[in-house]
Amino acid sequence: MCEVKKRLVVLAAVVIIASIVAYNYFSTAADAEGTIRVSGAFALYPMMVKWAEEYQKLDPKVKIEVSAGGAGKGMTDALAGLVDIGMVSRDIYPEEVEKGAFYVTVTKDAVVATINSENPVLNDVLTKGLTKRVFYNIFIAGNVTTWGQVVGKPDVTDEIRVYTRSDACGAADNWAKYLGKKQEDLRGVGVYADPGLVEAVKRDRLGIGYNNIGYAYDMKTNQQIEGIAVVPIDVSQNGRIDPDEDFYRSRDQIVQAIRHGLYPTPPARVENLVTKGKFTGIAKEFVKWILTDGQRFVEESGYVSLPAEVINEQLAKLES
Amino acid sequence: MLSATILSSLVVIAVALVLLQKSTLILSTHSLSELLLSSSWHPWKNEFGYYAFIVGTLWVTGLAMAISTVPSLLMSIYLAEYAPSKLRGIIKPMVDLLAGIPSVIYGLWALLLIVPLIRDQVAALAGVTTTGYTVLAGGIVLAVMVTPITISVSEEVIRAVPRPVREASMALGATRWQTVKHAVMRAAFPGIAAAVILGFGRAFGETMAVLMVVGNVPKVPVSVFDPAYPIPALIANNYGEMMSIPSYDSALMLAALLLLLVVLLFSILAAALLVGIKRRYVVG
Repeated sequence: MCEVKKRLVVLAAVVIIASIVAYNYFSTAADAEGTIRVSGAFALYPMMVKWAEEYQKLDPKVKIEVSAGGAGKGMTDALAGLVDIGMVSRDIYPEEVEKGAFYVTVTKDAVVATINSENPVLNDVLTKGLTKRVFYNIFIAGNVTTWGQVVGKPDVTDEIRVYTRSDACGAADNWAKYLGKKQEDLRGVGVYADPGLVEAVKRDRLGIGYNNIGYAYDMKTNQQIEGIAVVPIDVSQNGRIDPDEDFYRSRDQIVQAIRHGLYPTPPARVENLVTKGKFTGIAKEFVKWILTDGQRFVEESGYVSLPAEVINEQLAKLES
Repeated sequence: MLSATILSSLVVIAVALVLLQKSTLILSTHSLSELLLSSSWHPWKNEFGYYAFIVGTLWVTGLAMAISTVPSLLMSIYLAEYAPSKLRGIIKPMVDLLAGIPSVIYGLWALLLIVPLIRDQVAALAGVTTTGYTVLAGGIVLAVMVTPITISVSEEVIRAVPRPVREASMALGATRWQTVKHAVMRAAFPGIAAAVILGFGRAFGETMAVLMVVGNVPKVPVSVFDPAYPIPALIANNYGEMMSIPSYDSALMLAALLLLLVVLLFSILAAALLVGIKRRYVVG
């Protein structure tokens, strides 16, 4: 028995020492080359991956590790010093600024409502659109419960199955903000992560959810993801989708609509990069690049680039 | 060696102390009974009621135990008493392997298989409509995850029952099943109870797999076809918002403390039972 214990202790000691050595070895190796750690919003993730790729081409010595986990994770990681840059796809709360959150705005995109492409009243939804009030009644009040009620066809009694995000995230925060509420007020089954929510709606004929445009539209084809349909918003509330409200077919169209303010803000919103204190060293260089040369890749990645004066403000803030 | 042992047990105490210290804020502004018995969870309105989460945890865990306990006991009896040693040599490592699969893989499996199955088939049989993200889905995935743990421990315990117990029973003319049922099982009972409790502890604290299929709706479930929101999922989903509101941070820490205490309690109980059984056979 004692022999076994002794062996275990020796084994444990070896493992611990080995891991310390390995950690030191790898971390010094990484320091020499420089690693920028980034985590946070699913909305900004594809954009950040593109930026990281391009930046590493320019400066192969810099390594950029990007992980997605929701805006809340980005904020928490950044404030805890676990990452150099946190991606936060919602407003920064005063409480967070108080804790040392420093942020710059880098691009803009939007959250859209999504339904299944085999929805029983798909054509009515697409031609009439949904008003903010109807969305409110579905997502907050819960007094519109069938698809018939949504489009004014009482004979359609299929129930609405509402999906929301379970993780603390910018998409939910903005969708709730559009409806004048907080994420905690959104009804529905909570699904983890942006891709998870797309899957849930795709698999449920009667489902409705909301997604960042980066996940509602296919990166390569620019079209809506197969199996889901983006719900047009009836902004003018006249009971139909007018030509100037009809811009959901491709990602390019909706990006143009967001730029020209045809798609309401919220659910359109700016994307922020956050750190604790100030950006420093290679992380600062990277953020500066994102705000200057990096802006070239914004449009081609399906995001909305910011006006020049906003960019200049951000650059000044970065240097302040 | 002693210091290493003490150090590792101190970690648990250190974790508990940090959680306790962090939860003092919420405990000083809300009464414990309000926290435990209110089911209103609106952090932005400063309302923190754990009731729906506690009940959700119990539903999912209870269902998992109800599904898994009997089959895993039968399996461990078969493996320990009936299976030829060759077969046991194959099955046992496979069961242990099952216990080692990362929970997110179980979660994915349940998401792709169990959730649609419940939505399309089971719900129709039961005459209800549901999204499939339910207590039932969480219970099933947990049951699958708990089974290997229960089998592994109870098989060891049954095999540890000394031979003379079986021989005495056989000598009295009992059949093999009678021997298992009346002699072996009686001797192994505390150990089996420990196995089940260990499984319960695992199920109670399991996060990822459950989170992915259980629906995460902070409402008290009234049937297995309702979604639920267990405490581990609450912590995992919301730690990102922790930094935004001070009392939110504190409320999640208190939830973590509750979870830790419950799991600790069950582990101690299981350990005590296992120590008892060991003493009985080594000394007596």
